[in-house]
Amino acid sequence: MKKKLLSMVLGMSMVMTALAGCGVQNADSFESKADTQPAETSDAAETETQAAPESAGPVEDVDISFYTTETGKDQMFQDIIAEFERLNPNITVEYIAAGDDQLQQWMALYASNEGPTVSLMDPINIWENQERMLELTNEPVIANIEENALSTMTFDGKIYAVPQTAAGVGILYNKEVCDKAVGGDFDPSTIKTRSDLEDLFKKIEATGVDATCFTGVNWSLGSHWLCQAYGGAIGSTQDRVDYVNSIIEGKTKEIDNDVFNGYMDTFDMMAKYNHNAADPLVGDVNIDAQALAAGECGTWFMGDWAWTFLGPIVSEGQEFGLLPVPHSDDPSDVLNQSIATSYAKGYCIDKSQNTEAQQAAGLKFIEFITSDTYALEQMVKVTGQALPYKNCQVEIESPLGLSTANYIAKGLTYDFYGTPNLAPSDIWYECGAYMCEYLAGQTDRKTLASKLDEYWSHQEKR
Amino acid sequence: MTKNYRRRLSDIFSFAGFGLPALVIWASVVLVPFIYGIWITFTDWNGLAMQINYVGIKNYIDVFSDATFITSFLKTVIYAFFTVVASNLIGFLLALAVTSGIKGQNFFRTGFFTPNIIGGIILGYIWNFIFSYALTSFGKSIGVDWMSTSWLTNPTRALIALIIVSAWQLSGYLMVIYIAGLTSVPRELIEAAYVDGATGFDVIKNVKLPLIKNSTAICIFLSISRTFMSFDMNLSLTAGGPYKSTELIAYKIYQTAFTSMEFGKGQAQAIVLFVIVAIISLLQVYFTRKGVDEQ
Repeated sequence: MKKKLLSMVLGMSMVMTALAGCGVQNADSFESKADTQPAETSDAAETETQAAPESAGPVEDVDISFYTTETGKDQMFQDIIAEFERLNPNITVEYIAAGDDQLQQWMALYASNEGPTVSLMDPINIWENQERMLELTNEPVIANIEENALSTMTFDGKIYAVPQTAAGVGILYNKEVCDKAVGGDFDPSTIKTRSDLEDLFKKIEATGVDATCFTGVNWSLGSHWLCQAYGGAIGSTQDRVDYVNSIIEGKTKEIDNDVFNGYMDTFDMMAKYNHNAADPLVGDVNIDAQALAAGECGTWFMGDWAWTFLGPIVSEGQEFGLLPVPHSDDPSDVLNQSIATSYAKGYCIDKSQNTEAQQAAGLKFIEFITSDTYALEQMVKVTGQALPYKNCQVEIESPLGLSTANYIAKGLTYDFYGTPNLAPSDIWYECGAYMCEYLAGQTDRKTLASKLDEYWSHQEKR
Repeated sequence: MTKNYRRRLSDIFSFAGFGLPALVIWASVVLVPFIYGIWITFTDWNGLAMQINYVGIKNYIDVFSDATFITSFLKTVIYAFFTVVASNLIGFLLALAVTSGIKGQNFFRTGFFTPNIIGGIILGYIWNFIFSYALTSFGKSIGVDWMSTSWLTNPTRALIALIIVSAWQLSGYLMVIYIAGLTSVPRELIEAAYVDGATGFDVIKNVKLPLIKNSTAICIFLSISRTFMSFDMNLSLTAGGPYKSTELIAYKIYQTAFTSMEFGKGQAQAIVLFVIVAIISLLQVYFTRKGVDEQ
């Protein structure tokens, strides 16, 4: 009898647990959550957000989540969130930082019906997922964003994200090493061609210091170096799209393109002077940053975000800056004197799995992070990069960020991609591997170009 | 209410209490995702899209016409073969050592098993440092060229590194199973063999090994399935590099699904892997059982 009773109890509890599980699933679904929110509340919250972004909050308590793919800046974001929550006691922000693979975790969150309210993602990822995103075109937050920073966040004339920072891609230099090499005050504007750059390298080598450094990792070589060949040197945004489409269709071969060959000629030249030449693929950003800071190498192909690694280890008085990557020997080519800037990440809001109240709170959070003085100070201090926000008065401390800002001020920059979807989301991994193989000397340029053609042939037209 | 009816009712309740919870959990975490996964293989879903289109068997055609998938599979076979052989050999030798009555054998058992409880991701990062920096520093200090560069930047050496670390981790786990087998070998048989003049090697070859065939079968089965589905070590030790030369099949599937956002194709690759591993495992179990039955 006891056994029967026990089995009945177990059976009932199991059935109840299963039903409860189903119940939770329904309760968590977007439709149900939306139904529980009175329309007035959502509208009110939205109105309040637009009217007074910093003072008032939604009437009801709202829990939102913020997913960031910007690694190594957890403390900065948590400090900003803490300040936001202090000013908006009704809103609680759950902080979710991406691990090694930003897409995998994002997809997992969506698969479990927990799509983040606000995500900081690459434009290509937002573009691929635009049907889930809230259109921000007519939101007040956009008014504070510099117009030229919005192109990679705009799809078919609609704005789906707010850009984060302006990242400058180029060759970092240690001024002390370069000064010693040129025997005076090194002026980066004297580097106008590939030959000028090689002359500088020769002078640096003459002082007993390695001239330059490649970090042999797929994202740096595949996403940054290679993608220059689809950038400004090709022409206008439409020219770039047409060029990529012609490769996809097989009408153009990479090996026949002057821009590709120009960048690869510069790559070959730099590889000769590579600090890591003995073991080119043992890529480690921290170790290479140390090499530049310690004056073991004079230059380093990277970007102004490298201040995250350099900042904590440089000595007082050390100066660093950013050089453009020349793709030809034409001194009149303004692109050889310009750096590529990229708005590599943007804040977007999910509308597919978040209620209207959550979307309004998410919008409020984005407004805060892109306009509040404290948030801007934190962003500039930690990232060391220029921010594309009109009300931003914070001075950049990072010499690399300042260098980018100077190029921007002189008009010597060009948009790295121009469109959100020019480069596929896996180009860093697939083509990065081909570039690593090339750097290691395991393949020649013709084979590299044919592998790139093959990669593009599997892509859809842009 | 007849006696039979009551008994049947009692059986149903007993099953509901003891069997059904496990069945529901198993179905929820294995069966349903498996069926869902098969369904995805016939779609063009990218893992995020709200609109899903059916593409028939296109994903399977793509899998078999993808040369990189075949390359990854062949690399996985090479990796699995050497890892299975090395881990079983080392695991068996370790088991022999720690069942021989040496001093502190329990301590050694714990020590050799420890890599298993650390986890592949952490082990991968630790060994990544060892292969990339510790060994290279040592190599440079003693002036040995081949040790002065990272093992992980050369395709062959990176694969060897992957095999070494996997075998090192797996052998401790297999050792425990071999220990269970060796301790169940009757003592009198071993003593009788020694009395008949057998050497230590003869005892291992003719007494111990034949009597632990079941343990060997389990170990080989476990090591084959583990190596074919190896992912965490691959991710943290080599990340498929250098230039995708150590991209094992599970890692390849992950990259297809999550980096290239071709979820349907990635899932189709996973189904193909499942079929291959299932066939290999069934064949291995069949032949091992045949061997035991014939004994």
